[in-house]
Formats: sequence, structure tokens, C-alpha cells
Amino acid sequence: MKVSGVHYLVGQGIENIWKNRMMAFASFCALLVSLVLVGISILAYQNLDSMIGGAESQNEVIVYLEEDTSADEINRIGNEIYQMQNIADVMFYSKEEAYQDWEDQMADYGILFESLGDDNPLIDSFRIQVQDIRYMNKTVSQLEHLDHIYRVRAPYDFVAIVTQLRTILTWVMSALILAMIFVSIVIISNTARTSVYSRREEIQIMKYVGATNAFIRLPFFIEGMITGFFAGCGALVITWVVYDAVSGVLQNQVALLSVIGVGSMIRFDAIYLPVAFAYLLGGALLGAVGSALSTRKYINV
Amino acid sequence: MVELKDVSVTYSSGVDALEHINLKINDGDFVFVVGASGAGKSTLIKLLLKEIDATSGTVTVNGYQLSHLKKKQIPELRRTIGIVFQDFRLISKMTVYENIAFVLRVIDAPRKYIRKRVPYVISLVGLQAKANSYPTELSGGEMQRVAIARALVNDPALIIADEPTGNIDPELSYEIVDLLRSINMQGTTVMMVTHEHELVRRFGGRIINITEGQIVFDDIMEGSDDEFLEELEISRISENLENPENLYHES
Repeated sequence: MKVSGVHYLVGQGIENIWKNRMMAFASFCALLVSLVLVGISILAYQNLDSMIGGAESQNEVIVYLEEDTSADEINRIGNEIYQMQNIADVMFYSKEEAYQDWEDQMADYGILFESLGDDNPLIDSFRIQVQDIRYMNKTVSQLEHLDHIYRVRAPYDFVAIVTQLRTILTWVMSALILAMIFVSIVIISNTARTSVYSRREEIQIMKYVGATNAFIRLPFFIEGMITGFFAGCGALVITWVVYDAVSGVLQNQVALLSVIGVGSMIRFDAIYLPVAFAYLLGGALLGAVGSALSTRKYINV
Repeated sequence: MVELKDVSVTYSSGVDALEHINLKINDGDFVFVVGASGAGKSTLIKLLLKEIDATSGTVTVNGYQLSHLKKKQIPELRRTIGIVFQDFRLISKMTVYENIAFVLRVIDAPRKYIRKRVPYVISLVGLQAKANSYPTELSGGEMQRVAIARALVNDPALIIADEPTGNIDPELSYEIVDLLRSINMQGTTVMMVTHEHELVRRFGGRIINITEGQIVFDDIMEGSDDEFLEELEISRISENLENPENLYHES
């Protein structure tokens, strides 16, 4: 095909949007709804996942050291822990600090501390945060094998809840996203088929005068691509507005934020580029392929 | 040139639409194909356009042997054939000019050629004043003339007109046949399928009569005074009396 031929067909694709504006509008709406459904589902999943991640980061493994462990030993153990895999943060918590904090917390029971005199019954410890709580067991086991370790206390209940929560979330959201994708495919293919059905005679005439399948499909492809692109733009705007509104509401929920962590919600301005890219590309591709494929039934004349 | 050798078509339903047809239409011929509804005329057209395949026998159209033709080559074959339908089949969202020009765009003709050729063809069918009109703004006769211009524009070797006068007034029918005749005079082979015996009576020429999937008559007749044409008319009337459903189809 010559360049002028391609130019003509691209022009036809653009022109057809206006000539078949009702069907083009229907396709636009179908694509818009589909993109928003899938897009918001994915973003919701990512945010919930990030919130669980936020809660996860608050995990704390406490490694109690044996009494009479020297300062050098403590340093060495600290370095060893720091160099282990799956360790996000290590903080030494001396028995003096622990005593002080304890005393502060129990300020109302000063008499209790008086009875202890100068004795400090507490022991030195390391407060550790692990990177991935799924590997908590392995990390704890490694910690237990270090020298001068009295005991390791890990938040197993917390880990179990969070891990289960994440598994449930992944399954539920994957099912939801798949369902949304399925619904979208049904909506898009039906709309595209209706659109092509209304122009089946046009396609048949083209076939009778010797048009190749590519010649017939290209304008439909272009038409679908442009419609899909604009649907992607619309979906981006809707998602942006909805996202801002929802995150605005959540940012004001102090109690909730204390659980999920302030930084757990993904800010839209941090992700708008990949989201925009996915919407525009996804819309254009879905529109183009959907309408080009729908011509198949009428093209075999 | 169109050549059918011992061609039969049996549909999947078991209906024998054409049976052992032998037919040759030479370049430059003008042929009327007549026959009652269901006789096999439409099957013949579908066969020539390779919309369907022959169950047996060989079909050659404009040098293409259709049984050897790959799916990819069908557009190539169809570009050598101009087709005129009873219901015009114009694209309603295109003007007269665009309806005709797009046939040339299909074959990737240069723009310059399109700009020159389309107005010329429009003038041949006498629709210069309607070039920018849409099909809905035209009369039945005008729409059929656009369809003929569309069939003619890429200079096909063969024009197949399927009941081209079926949807227009009788007086306009003569104009349409006259137009097809004049196109034929320029060297284009024309195959006009019709069940309007009055037209055939008036114009005469080579007449192929298909009845129940078989060619029962293929000869040249002279025109309105010809005895055969009278007989054809009488036989049609008696056939209709025997099979009243034909009258229903014709109406």
C-alpha cells in the first residue's frame, strides 16, 4: 500500500468517528467504564497492599542478650545482625534505657522502683525490624544461633495475621480485577460488534469492489484507537478525581492512619505517569484491536 | 471472459442450485441471463464473484481459474469485475463522488487519476450536477446510475448487473439498459441478470435462460419482434400459472 493510501485510510478512520458519532460515543463510554473499573481495582489493590506493607514495617523482633555481655561483644553482635539478610533496621536498646523507659511508663508506681534500689533487673537487647515478614521464621532462627543470645521474641501473631490478610487480599483483588477485565472485554466486544454490525453493508460493498481485509480493517483500527485514546484520557481524569477525593477522606482519619502508617497510601502524583501511560495505551490498544477484530464476521464475503 | 465447464453447485442443505452448467461469455459480449426466482441466477453471480465455490467443474473469470484462486487473491479477481445490485448498495454516508472514488482508492490509484477519472465516469452516467449529493438525495434511477458508475470506474473487464432495474420505474429501466449497452459498446463485457422479460423482449441479444439450475436456452435473439421472446413471455406466464409463488417473488 502506498503512503497516500495509508494517509487516506487514516483520514477515513478519523472521519468515520464523526460520521458514526453515536456508535463512536457508545464505544467511548464502554471503554471509559471498562478502563475506570479495571484501573480503580488495580489502584485499590496496590493501596491496600501498600497499607499492609505499612503495618508490616511496624514489626519488631527483640533480641535479648545474655547478662554480662561485654560492650565489644555487643558491638560485634550488632554488626553481625546488621549484615544478615532480611534485616531492615537494628537498634541497640541498653538495659539502662529500658529501665528508664520502664520507670517513665510506670511513673505512678514509684514505690516499686524504690524497692529495687540500684538493681536493674532488665537486660540489654537489640530491637530489629525485618524487611519481609514472610521470612520472619528464618531470620529468628538465624538470630537464635548467634552467640550471647538469651532469647528472641518475635511478633508471630502479628505476622500470621498480616500474612493471611495479604493472601486474602491478593486472592480477592485478583479475582475482582479478573472479573473487571472479563466484564470489560464483554462490554467492549459487544459495543464494537454493534458498531461494526451497523456498518456491515459498507464492509460488504468494499469486499465486492475488491478491497483487501487490511484496507477495510485499517479505518476501523484507527477509529477504535482514537476512541480508546480519548476514553483513556477520560478514565485518567475520573480516576484522578476519585483518587484525590478518597485519599483526602482517608488522610483525615487519624485513627486509621495510625494503624496503616501515614505514608502507606500511594500519592497520585507519585504514580500519575505510569497510570496515564497505562490508561492511554490500554485504551488505544483495546479500542483498536476490539473494533478491528469485530469486522472479522462480515469480512468473509 | 467467463467460462463454466460442467459446473454444479450443491448447497450444504442438499439443494442443487446449478447442475452441469456449460457456459462461455466472450470478451465484449452483452448477455441477458433470465430465469424465475430460485432458478440459480444468484448462485451463478456468487460463483463468478467467488463468494461460493463450485461443487464440481471449473469456473474461469477474466483469466482467473477460480478453483485455484487463493483467498488472498479474491480482491484481485473482484477488481476485474464491476457489480451492480438491484438495491444499489451505495454507502449512505458518502457522496456520489466519494462512493465512486473509493473503488479507485481500494486499488491504490494515484490521487491525480482519481480526480480525473471520477468526474469523467460521473459525466458518462449524466450525474455531474449530483456529484456532491448523498444517496438519500437521489431518485432510484439516479442511484442505479451511481452504482453503474461505481462498477465502471476502475475499467473492469466484466460488469455483472444483478436485477439492476428491479427497484426502478419501467421507463427508467430502459435508460439503465441503454447505459449498460453503451458501456458494452466500449468493449466491456456485460452480464445482466433479470427476470423482467419485457426488457429482454425489447432489447434482444444473447439470452441465457436458467431454469431449475440448468441452462435451458442460450441463443441470440433479435429484439422485440422475435418469436422466441414471445414464447419466452408465454412460457413465463404459463410457468407462473403453474407455480404462483413465482408471481409473489417477482412482485
